[in-house]
Amino acid sequence: MFKKLPYHTKKKIYGFLFITPWLVGFLLFFAVPFVQSCVYGFQDLKTTVSGMEGTWVGLSNFSYALFRDTQFIIQCAGSLRDLITVPLILVYSLCFALLLKKEYPGRTLMRAIAFLPVIIGSGVLMDIMKTDVFSTSMNSSETTYLFSASGLTGFFESMGLSAGLIGFINNVISKIFDLTWRSGVQILLFLAGLHNIPSYVYEAADIEGANALEQFFKITLPMLTPMILLNAVYSVIDIFSDYGNAIIQMIYNTAFTNVRFGYASALSILYFLMVAVVLVVLYLAMKRFIVHAED
Amino acid sequence: MGTIVYKLKSGKWFWTICKYAILILLAYQLLYPVLYMVSASIKDPLDTYDPSVIWIPKHLSSVGFMDAFRSMKYMQALLGSFQIGLGCAVLDVVSSALAGYGFARYQFPFKNVFFVCVILTLMVPTQTIILPYYLNMRYFNPAGILGLIGKITGRELSVNLVGSNMAFYIPSALGAGIRSGLYIYIFKQFFEGMSSALEESAYVDGSGPLRTFLYIMLPNAKNAVVTVFLFSFVWHFNDYYLSKQLLGTTRRTLIVALSSLRVDLAALIGGQTTTDPLRIQTRIQAGCLLTILPMFLLYMVAQRKLADSIEHMGIK
Repeated sequence: MFKKLPYHTKKKIYGFLFITPWLVGFLLFFAVPFVQSCVYGFQDLKTTVSGMEGTWVGLSNFSYALFRDTQFIIQCAGSLRDLITVPLILVYSLCFALLLKKEYPGRTLMRAIAFLPVIIGSGVLMDIMKTDVFSTSMNSSETTYLFSASGLTGFFESMGLSAGLIGFINNVISKIFDLTWRSGVQILLFLAGLHNIPSYVYEAADIEGANALEQFFKITLPMLTPMILLNAVYSVIDIFSDYGNAIIQMIYNTAFTNVRFGYASALSILYFLMVAVVLVVLYLAMKRFIVHAED
Repeated sequence: MGTIVYKLKSGKWFWTICKYAILILLAYQLLYPVLYMVSASIKDPLDTYDPSVIWIPKHLSSVGFMDAFRSMKYMQALLGSFQIGLGCAVLDVVSSALAGYGFARYQFPFKNVFFVCVILTLMVPTQTIILPYYLNMRYFNPAGILGLIGKITGRELSVNLVGSNMAFYIPSALGAGIRSGLYIYIFKQFFEGMSSALEESAYVDGSGPLRTFLYIMLPNAKNAVVTVFLFSFVWHFNDYYLSKQLLGTTRRTLIVALSSLRVDLAALIGGQTTTDPLRIQTRIQAGCLLTILPMFLLYMVAQRKLADSIEHMGIK
């Protein structure tokens, strides 16, 4: 019977068959848990011998998080403030990718170093680094470390800068580590994007007499806009789901240390809504700058 | 060297020096933590008090490595990490290549809705769904099928996947593992860039869709396969939350072992270290080094090939 179907109907079925494994996985391991998580948010969950038992409490979990929890809103604001690093990550990784694009002696080594954070930069490791390697209190011979903020503090103090300014500079310096170790994937995607721009476009621009700067702003940047959007979205998600993120740790502790599953679910739903709003705003803001190149 | 000589002659030497200065600075700040790890972990605890010791220790000591090795149950954790990383990477490549090919080359109802769902899986943090996800694995019962069989046979049937590798393999095989949405996206973009003439000629020669996919499309998608394999391997290897939750209390991966190293060390060497952060730091840095070592070595070996594949993975 299947053989008698017209070719385009068969193609539809084939297409559907190709995505079926994914669809099953999506329903089992994403859609069902997601809906369950939403349901838990409206419940007060208790573990009993026979499993989880929930009683409906309406919106009280949500209202508690928004109006009575002293920590949640503050931590959310803190996470939003971390978004400042997204444009910095984009600029840094684009510059790095540009440096890696052309052939020169030492490029392979440099590229290997640039991808290192992708390979070894797990959240746990970054957290240990931040507390141990870049801490200001633990190193005995701190002044000798270039990156140690306290060494610099002494230097700036001797230069006679004000305390506020020193604090600001220290804050920026402590962010450098975050910035560079979070940019591995972005550099990689930008590099892939750069290699996708056909070389004849640059050749034509050369013949027409465009200089390097003009070529960058009129060719490279517009052609990279889809990649910039992808990287911006990736960076936002990366920051919001990081191991060291205060809200993530708060949700985790609420669920598994304090055993308040319902409240933890409510927190995570609210947190997801916040991420979604940020991503939608980001998408709408960047949408009109996206250039779709036609072959 | 040729280009340098050329640039020196053409008067561009200033920019060349600037460029290399920037490159060295970038390389230094990226390598700094690794160098620090090496320096701190081979140091004798005595040297941490010596202000004249900066990078190169005066007394070498392997006590940090020995303690970290024992405390992390290194070989066991390494085996766990590799089992999960390699298994999931292979399964992720298969499942996301299939889905990506379906999205790229076929038209079917609700295709766009489904693809939005793919992107949605990327946008929702794991932490939002981790609790029901965990319960799902603890009492694994896909779509109530096992429960139904249980009712018929009159026995309680629920499989506990927590603590077994299956808790990672099954989602990966169904395209729902860690960041699977990104892999599907990569494959979709890649297959869309390939010429459809290949498939048409295969169809004319009488090849079915699965055969075309396996023998024509997949061998040509080598760069995308390598990229997805690497990403999946690395991210499963470096994952903390899911590994911590789904492996239960008996088994650990390297990252989970590293995360609790500080606590475990205190138990191992007794109270005196907890009051002395400098002494425990040597061991923690040794633990960090041991954790990144397998990945680092693999990367050293395959670096050029991997980086080339990623650079030319051909997604738009």
